[in-house]
Amino acid sequence: MTRFSKFNVSAIILGFTFLYLPIILLILFSFNESRLVTVWAGFSTKWYVELMQNQGIKDAAWVTIKIAFISSSVATFLGTIAGLVMTRFGKFRGRTLFSGMIYAPMVMPEVIVGLSTLLTFITLAIDRGVLTVTLAHITFSMCYVSVIIQSRMTSYDDSITEAALDLGCTPFRTFLLITLPIILPAVISGWLLSFTMSLDDLVIASFTSGPGSTTLPMKIYSMVRLGVTPEINAVSTILVGLVTVGVITASLIGKRQKQQLAQN
Amino acid sequence: MTETNTTEPWLDSSQKPYIQIENVTKKFGDFTAIDNLSLDIYKNEFFSLLGPSGCGKTTLLRMLAGFERFTEGRVLVDGEDISEIPPHLRPINMMFQSYALFPHLTVEKNIAFGLKQDKLPDNIINQRVEEMLQLVELTDFAKRKPGQLSGGQSQRVALARSLAKQPKLLLLDEPLGALDKRLREQTQFELMDIQEKLEVTFVIVTHDQEEAMTVSSRIGVMDSGKLIQVATPTQIYEAPINREVADFIGDVNIFKGIYKGQDAKGTQLLSEDSKSIIYATQKVDVPVGNRIWFALRPEKLEITRKLPEVDCNILKGKIEDIGYGGSFSTYHVKLENGRQLTAIRANRERTAEHHLTWGDEVYLHWSPDSAVVLLS
Amino acid sequence: MANQAKKSLFKRTFNGRNAAISIPYLWLLLLFLFPFVIVLKISLAQPIIAIPPYTPLFSWGDSLWPKIQAGLDSYLFLFSDSLYIKAYLSSIKIATISTVLTLIIGYAIAYSIARAPTRWRGILLMLVILPFWTSFLIRVYAWIGILKTEGLLNLALMTLGIIEKPLIIMNTDLAVYIGIVYSYLPFMILPLYANLEKMDMNLLEAAADLGCRPFKTFWTVTIPLSLPGILAGCFLVFIPVIGEFVIPDLLGGTKTLMIGKVLWGEFFYNRDWPVASAVAIIMLLLLVVPIILYQKSQEKAIS
Repeated sequence: MTRFSKFNVSAIILGFTFLYLPIILLILFSFNESRLVTVWAGFSTKWYVELMQNQGIKDAAWVTIKIAFISSSVATFLGTIAGLVMTRFGKFRGRTLFSGMIYAPMVMPEVIVGLSTLLTFITLAIDRGVLTVTLAHITFSMCYVSVIIQSRMTSYDDSITEAALDLGCTPFRTFLLITLPIILPAVISGWLLSFTMSLDDLVIASFTSGPGSTTLPMKIYSMVRLGVTPEINAVSTILVGLVTVGVITASLIGKRQKQQLAQN
Repeated sequence: MTETNTTEPWLDSSQKPYIQIENVTKKFGDFTAIDNLSLDIYKNEFFSLLGPSGCGKTTLLRMLAGFERFTEGRVLVDGEDISEIPPHLRPINMMFQSYALFPHLTVEKNIAFGLKQDKLPDNIINQRVEEMLQLVELTDFAKRKPGQLSGGQSQRVALARSLAKQPKLLLLDEPLGALDKRLREQTQFELMDIQEKLEVTFVIVTHDQEEAMTVSSRIGVMDSGKLIQVATPTQIYEAPINREVADFIGDVNIFKGIYKGQDAKGTQLLSEDSKSIIYATQKVDVPVGNRIWFALRPEKLEITRKLPEVDCNILKGKIEDIGYGGSFSTYHVKLENGRQLTAIRANRERTAEHHLTWGDEVYLHWSPDSAVVLLS
Repeated sequence: MANQAKKSLFKRTFNGRNAAISIPYLWLLLLFLFPFVIVLKISLAQPIIAIPPYTPLFSWGDSLWPKIQAGLDSYLFLFSDSLYIKAYLSSIKIATISTVLTLIIGYAIAYSIARAPTRWRGILLMLVILPFWTSFLIRVYAWIGILKTEGLLNLALMTLGIIEKPLIIMNTDLAVYIGIVYSYLPFMILPLYANLEKMDMNLLEAAADLGCRPFKTFWTVTIPLSLPGILAGCFLVFIPVIGEFVIPDLLGGTKTLMIGKVLWGEFFYNRDWPVASAVAIIMLLLLVVPIILYQKSQEKAIS
């Protein structure tokens, strides 16, 4: 049937090597005894110890997590509504513009988004800080959530919604009691995606943040401009580790859910 | 004091229709799905909407449920105009073709869902759910989830759920479509029993004419957004209103020809096929020379080897094809002019004495009161 | 007639609908679309030493009518200095080449995963997505340590005796290409894979049955059928890369001209907000057509 040829195997092996080698090297050298990132001088965890004492990084990490949490929650709320509007509300006035505003942010260069959002905050006389970064993150994250929800709704059986209405459930309660529980996995992955993108954002945060709201990517960036140090490797390793644990957990939960449904 | 006719309420002028569909039109842009349709349905009827795909029957059903708005017209249920009432406030429930069971709720909770929306007290809800489960014989399945049910079981849960609120009207959208033949036949009779027992008015949409004939009190044959004929199954079958209805339900032989007037034997048709006069008892009132048709069901067409001793309606032909159906056989007989007619005969003898085979020269005849005269 | 009057009951019941549409709509209008208007406005202003560092559009003096200060100075400046035009062209060039490279590599990987035994596909896909979830910045940073003159790549190559002198890759366009392909690969692989996975293998078998050789089948059947995925992937890479900043900043050199870097520089270093805005507006104009094409292709895909 479908040949899984030597070409395919080598493409996958090479591809994954390309993808993972830099990260593995990064992690490796976070445990390097010396300051150099190219010469292995022995195993050491001293950079992690120094990291723990770096207040700047710790503050930035806390700010970043706060912003990521709030922005992803609001973005999930807005994006879910937007996704349902796009797939279930049919035609309405201004739909083309709405659709444009949902898809454009996903490809828009971040410098444009960052600049335009900042200038707007200034025009509206909103002080830059955690609030402005959060607002900016919500704006682009909600579009990704919307697309995820739209994709989920294409395989959603409409007659279930109609059945709920038919049995006396108001449209709003139908959403809460029927639609939402059924699409919950998509909503959760939307939240996770928003959280990651917010955690990771450098450009937009740089434009829209203010004093006291330096995010972790901004801090790392300023450190990187000064040169490669194992401390950065250490921070990176921790982040990579957390994300890996998160993604593996999520996929295991997803697998278990699928198994449960299949067994039933 | 005339007795109220309870078995055929549509014939009784003293009875008011339970559902009155008045001059309803539905347009999707330029396309007219339902064209100025009016229909009266009486209480406790098991009414079928029958027609080919795209005739508008499902659209009409969805409009009754409230999922499509009327472009024009209105619908009254028990005297109340429900045209502007949204679906969740109508005293109507629907059983969906895909069953639409809530996958995250148990069978019990599915059935209880509608009752919960009415904010009924818990003990009443539980009692009603029990009753419904017993009605569809799924008491042991109460705690299961839809993913754990078979097709037939899912169908019964969907039915129980839609009846739980004791609606004034139950709409069923191709309810037996997904079941295999044996299960379908069994369920047809179960549906009829349930309908009688609960005294609910059913309106069912189906494309399966046999199903419609089996379960219905009356059938509404639809095409292109219009109702062609509304009558009992017998009337639809034996007295179709035009060639379209005749052709749609079951097999039929249609004779085309010119009306030559009446005589002692009945209405005369100069048949195009046999170039002779054939007769039907049914009288007509059209000018002589008009084009008319006779419709003759295959089981009314007698097929014999010897010349039958009757005085009219005899055609000669040759057996082209035989289809053996176990309890009956279908014969395709080719007339001299090349036209093919279909005759069905019950296989009453185990060993065929009147054994007919391919190529046999045979006579076809029918009694004049077996044919229906059609004017269109 | 009676229907019209009774429609208000229907409207009343379904008015949650208007609320549902308005909430995300207004948010996006205010924080996505309106900002572009602001950028346009500021691109027409002059830089001044003030907070904010540009001239206001409307200023009220003694008269009733506001004085309007707007000018195309920033735009003229952009066109006069060849640096900017070069930067736009260079960005288009880099974006195009990167997209093509990413497409070739991404297609090979996506195709191979799609043809892998079914039980492996999930894991393979997850492994592709995993780097995507880790920080973009960190992954780009990882390449610095590898591509530096004293970096790991040169170390490895010299130790193996393949080269004698270290390769200068860091701070060149090549490093930028490597960085872009590396970072944007998941964006290319995912839509390609989604499309290839759904492809009916029967079509390939039918072609083979009719005498078509494997290579030809690939070009005449597989590629055309995977076109939607190819387009989606290319849009997802090309459009953002035009305005990419982090990668050319960290991996590129002073000679690497990308318009995203220019915009950042104008804003943060030159503090010339009007010029930065003008750069952004022109970038937007360049990208309007691709963005609309992308949106249309996505709508078609979802419907």
